[in-house]
Amino acid sequence: MFGFEYPSIQDLVVWPNYFGGDSFWALNKIGLISLLAMILPALMFLLSKKEMVPRGLQNVVEGSVEFVENQIIMPAIGPEGLRYLPLLLSIFLFVFFGNIFEVIPTFQMPANARMANPMFLALIVLVVFTVIGFKHNGLSYLKGIAWPHDVPIGLRPLVGFIELLSVFLIRPFGLAVRLFANMLAGHILLVTFGALTIAVFTTSVLVVLTPLTFGMLIILTAFEMFVSFLQAFVFAILTAVYIDSSLHAH
Amino acid sequence: MLFALLFAEAAEGEEEAINPVIPEISEMFWGIIAFAALYVLVTYVLLPPIQRIRNDRAATIQADLDAADAARAQAISASAEMADQLADVRAEAAAIIDAVRAEADAERERLVARAEREVNAMREIAESEIVAEREQALASLRPQVAELAVSAASRVTGRSIDGGSAQSVVDRYLTNPN
Repeated sequence: MFGFEYPSIQDLVVWPNYFGGDSFWALNKIGLISLLAMILPALMFLLSKKEMVPRGLQNVVEGSVEFVENQIIMPAIGPEGLRYLPLLLSIFLFVFFGNIFEVIPTFQMPANARMANPMFLALIVLVVFTVIGFKHNGLSYLKGIAWPHDVPIGLRPLVGFIELLSVFLIRPFGLAVRLFANMLAGHILLVTFGALTIAVFTTSVLVVLTPLTFGMLIILTAFEMFVSFLQAFVFAILTAVYIDSSLHAH
Repeated sequence: MLFALLFAEAAEGEEEAINPVIPEISEMFWGIIAFAALYVLVTYVLLPPIQRIRNDRAATIQADLDAADAARAQAISASAEMADQLADVRAEAAAIIDAVRAEADAERERLVARAEREVNAMREIAESEIVAEREQALASLRPQVAELAVSAASRVTGRSIDGGSAQSVVDRYLTNPN
């Protein structure tokens, strides 16, 4: 209709490999963004000055550390969770920088709109909170989940089964899918309005709609920047909540 | 819309169809490497200096706050001490003023008494001088008054009057006029 041809999903999320062919180490745009999501925060930290009165980049770096401390760890775990600051900070930065490439020209693709990164991050979180649960509670961690004491004994097998599924399957799956689906949806939304803007701009009849679609594209770009941050925050704070539930498992 | 796209793509054909939910191994490989590197860097290289400077800053701020508290306490103590000293000084000054005032009052009374004594003495002297002057004046007037009286009496009576007896009458009259 009106010459508007929506790109296929393959065109939206599948990128050719730069090298490596079909091997497991083949590098495509998603892999490159993942590497940049490691390099950029590292550079940010390395280039920031370490002065008593912070300025410029040092403010950003210290602000991100304080944000993870005060808005993620302290509300979700408390002071004893500060030992997990490196992990949670890494998760927050990695997810955020992986997301924010959605609005960076020439990239315009969030790494987390592919399932690979959200899935392995969710698996890492699963391993972390499980190990913490066993380390702090021993076998009673598993027993507390599979055989909950505050449930009538007749329901314990059923509730225990549901709890096992919830903790060890739904939690990581939910983490991964939440991040992946949000970023993919945002990516599709931006592509939709981008393609729509081009379509109405090149169509003589509907050219008057260009400011509308282009305006929406700008608004959605700003919104996706916010979503990039929000999803990183949600992923990190849920990780903290899961760690806390393992630390204080009954 | 997302699911419609996914299903639409899946329906296009077995070889062309991709499922975005299935992770690519190569993407996961680079993601794991990148995240592991970031975690190691954050833990051992990037975060420690930031935490160090934050701790130093917090310690400096705390030390400054402690110093400010100590200075404030010292100032309050000094202020109280100064107030005490001021009160002592005021009390001492009041005592001195009272003593000086009492001394001045005594001195004034002493001076007034002495002045009164001197005035009395001078008055007495003046009165005695006046009396003496009057006596002297009377004494000097007495012969003349007697002479005038004798002369007047002689003219009235037409005979000569003894001056000696007239003098005694005049003396008696001047001494006791009533």
